[in-house]
Amino acid sequence: MLLKSLYNSERFLKIIFGLSLFIVLVMGGFAYKYVKELSESFDEVQDAYQLHIELEKLLSALKDAESGKRAYIISKDSTFLEPLLVSGSELDNSLKRLKDLTKDQPEHQENIAELELKIDNSLKIFEKTLQLAQNNEVESAEFISAFREGRQTMNSVRFKVLEMTTHENELLGSKKARSSRSLSNAPMFVYYILIISLLILLLTYLQISKNLKILKEKNELLETFKESTTQSEIISKHGNWIWHIEDNTFEYSDNLYRLLGEEPQSFEPTLENFIAFTHPDDLDKLMEQVNKMMENEDLPFIHYRIIQKNGTIKHFKAYGKVLIDSDGHKKLLGTTADITDEIVNYRLIEERNLELERNNKELASFNYVASHDLQEPLRKIQTFISRLEEKEQDNLSSNGKVYIQRIKSSSGRMRSLIDDLLQFSRTNKSEEAFEDSNLNILLETAKHDLAEIISDKRARISSDSIPSMKVIPFQIKQLFLNLMSNSLKYSRENVAPVITISYSQTDISDLPKVKFSKHNRYHTITVKDNGIGFDQEYAEQIFTLFSRLHNKNEYSGTGIGLSICKKIVENHQGYIIAESHLNQGATFTVYLPITS
Amino acid sequence: MREEYTYVVLADDDEDDRLFFTDAFEELKMQTKVDVYKDGIELMNALNQSDSILPNILFLDLNMPMKSGLECLKEIKMNPRFKNLSIAIYSTSASEEDIEDTFVNGANIYIKKPNDFKILKKILADVVTMNWQYHTSGLNKDNFLLRL
Repeated sequence: MLLKSLYNSERFLKIIFGLSLFIVLVMGGFAYKYVKELSESFDEVQDAYQLHIELEKLLSALKDAESGKRAYIISKDSTFLEPLLVSGSELDNSLKRLKDLTKDQPEHQENIAELELKIDNSLKIFEKTLQLAQNNEVESAEFISAFREGRQTMNSVRFKVLEMTTHENELLGSKKARSSRSLSNAPMFVYYILIISLLILLLTYLQISKNLKILKEKNELLETFKESTTQSEIISKHGNWIWHIEDNTFEYSDNLYRLLGEEPQSFEPTLENFIAFTHPDDLDKLMEQVNKMMENEDLPFIHYRIIQKNGTIKHFKAYGKVLIDSDGHKKLLGTTADITDEIVNYRLIEERNLELERNNKELASFNYVASHDLQEPLRKIQTFISRLEEKEQDNLSSNGKVYIQRIKSSSGRMRSLIDDLLQFSRTNKSEEAFEDSNLNILLETAKHDLAEIISDKRARISSDSIPSMKVIPFQIKQLFLNLMSNSLKYSRENVAPVITISYSQTDISDLPKVKFSKHNRYHTITVKDNGIGFDQEYAEQIFTLFSRLHNKNEYSGTGIGLSICKKIVENHQGYIIAESHLNQGATFTVYLPITS
Repeated sequence: MREEYTYVVLADDDEDDRLFFTDAFEELKMQTKVDVYKDGIELMNALNQSDSILPNILFLDLNMPMKSGLECLKEIKMNPRFKNLSIAIYSTSASEEDIEDTFVNGANIYIKKPNDFKILKKILADVVTMNWQYHTSGLNKDNFLLRL
C-alpha cells in the first residue's frame, strides 16, 4: 500500500529523476576515466615507440660512422668520411631527443647518461683511430688496440641500447596488461549502465503517461463538475464567488451576475460593484457583515435584499467559508442564493397558517357555543316542559297535552343533534394520545352502554376475540357503540337483531379501493347484522355528515353517527366500508393498520 | 343549631337555574337551608366575611361573569378556613377540560345540569345525603363526574 502510494506520488518521479541524473553523471565519470586511461596508454606506447626509433637511429648513426671509417681506412678515399660528419650531428640530435622523451623516467635518464658517456668514449676512440689511419699508422700496435677498443665500446653501446629496448618493452608489456585488464570491463559496464538507464527511463515514461491519463480523467471530471455546478446554480438560483484574501480580489460566477439581473461577467467583480445593488435599507447591515468578514475571514449566514436595475427586489442569502489551497493561499469561498421564492412562499404559508389558526379558533368557539350556550336554553326548555308535565298535567286540555309531547320530542331531537355534533367535532386525533388497549374491553363497555336497548330488542351480540392494539381508546369505544347502535336501530320489525363481530387480518393488496398505503397488513373487524340493510348504491353516502336514508319519523337519528365512525377510523389511519343489500342486513368492515 | 340542617349554597348567574335549584329543595322537603348568589364576586364576599356561616355543600356554576366558578374554586382552596367545604361543580357543559381543571383544583364532584326537573331533584337529594368523607377518600377522575 505504502509502496503503491509512493509509486504513484509526485515524489516518486522526483526520486527517479534524481536517480537517473546520478546514474548519467556516474556513467559520464566512468567514460571520462576510460577515455583518459586510453589516451594515456596510447601516449605511453607512442613514447616507447619513439624511444625505439631514436635508439635505432642512434645505433645506425654509429654503425654508419663505423662503416664509413672502415671504408676510409681500407680505401683511403675521403668521401667515405662524409657520413661521419652527418652522423655526428645526428647523434647529438638523437641524444637530445632521447633526453626529452625520457625526462620523467629517471632510470632511462641514467641509462642515457651512461649511453652518452659510452658514445663520447666511442667517438674519442673513433677520432683516435681515424687520426692514426690518416697518418698511415694502421699497422701500429696503438691503432690495433684503439681499433679493438673502439669495437668493444661499439659493442657495449649496442648492448646498452639492447638493454634499454628490452627494458622499455618490458615496461610497455606490463602497462599494457594493466590497462587492458581495466579496459576490458569498460564496454560491458557502460552497456549495463545504459540498460539500467533505459529501464528507469521506461519506468518513468510509464508512470508519467499513467499520471497524464489520470490527469486527463480528472480534468474531464472537473469539466463535468463545472458544467453541473453551472447548471445547478441556475436551477437552484445561487451563485458562487471567491474572495482571494491576500490580494483582496474577487471572482464571481456567471450565475451571480444573472441573480443581479445582469449579463455574465458584464462588470468588474469588485465588492463596490456588488454592493451598489444592495437595498438601501439593508446596506448598513450588509456592510457591517462584510467588514466582519474581512476581519474574521469568515462569513456566517446573512440575509439581505438587492434591487435589480429594472427595480425588482430580490432576497439574497449568503454564506462563506475560508479555504487554504495547496500553495497556502487563503481564499473565502462564498455562496449567494436567491431566496425570494422561499420568502414569498413562506409568507404565503404564514398567512395561510394565520387563517387556519383563526378558523380553528372560530371552530373552538363554535364548539363552546354548541356545548354551552346552545344547550343552556334547550336544557331550560326541557326542564320547564318536565315541570309542566309534572305539575300542570291536569290543567291541560287534550290538545295541550299533545302539543307538550310534540315540543318534548322536538327538543329531545335537538338535544341529540347537538350532542352528536359535539361528539363529531371533538373526534380529533390530537385530543388524546394512542395507547395499547384491549379492544375486547372497549367492546364490552360499549355493549354495557347499550344494555337497555339490547334487552328491549332482545338482541344477540356475538364477538371474536380481538387482539390488543395501539388506539385512542375512547374513540374505538365510540366506534363500537355507534356501529352496534346503528345495527340495533335499523333492525327489521319483529325480528330480533343478531350482530356478529368478527376479527381477521387482511393484506393491503386485498383491501378494496386502497391503492397506496405505508402499512402492509390490517386488522380487520367486521360488524354484521340482520337488519333492514340498504341499497349498495348508498354505501359511501351513508358516511357523509347529516346523510340519512330514512325519514326521521321512521327511524330516529341525526345522520352523524357513521360520520363519526369514519372520522375515528381515519384518525387511526384505517378504512371503513359498508356492504349491504336491501333487507339482507348490513356489514361494516373496519381496517386498522398493524403497526410493528 | 347547625347540626339540624344541611346548609347548601349555590352561585349561579342564571336566574332560571337558581329558581330550579331552590324549587327543587323546596319540593324535596329535606332539612336544608339554601342560599343563592348571582355571581362569583357576591359569593366570595359573603364567604370571606369573618363571621360568615360556612355552607356544608357549595354548588358552583362555572360560567359566570366577573369571577368564574373555577376562580372561586381556586380562591377557596387556597384559604385554610374553607378546607372542610365540599364543593360540587354545577355546570351546563361537561367538557373534558372543565372536568379536568376542576378535578385538579380540588372540587369534590362534578354535576352536569340535567334537562329534567325530576332528575334534578334526585341529583340534589343524592348529593345532600352523600357520605362526603367516603366519597372524597375514594375520589378519582372516573367517579368525579356524577353519573345517574
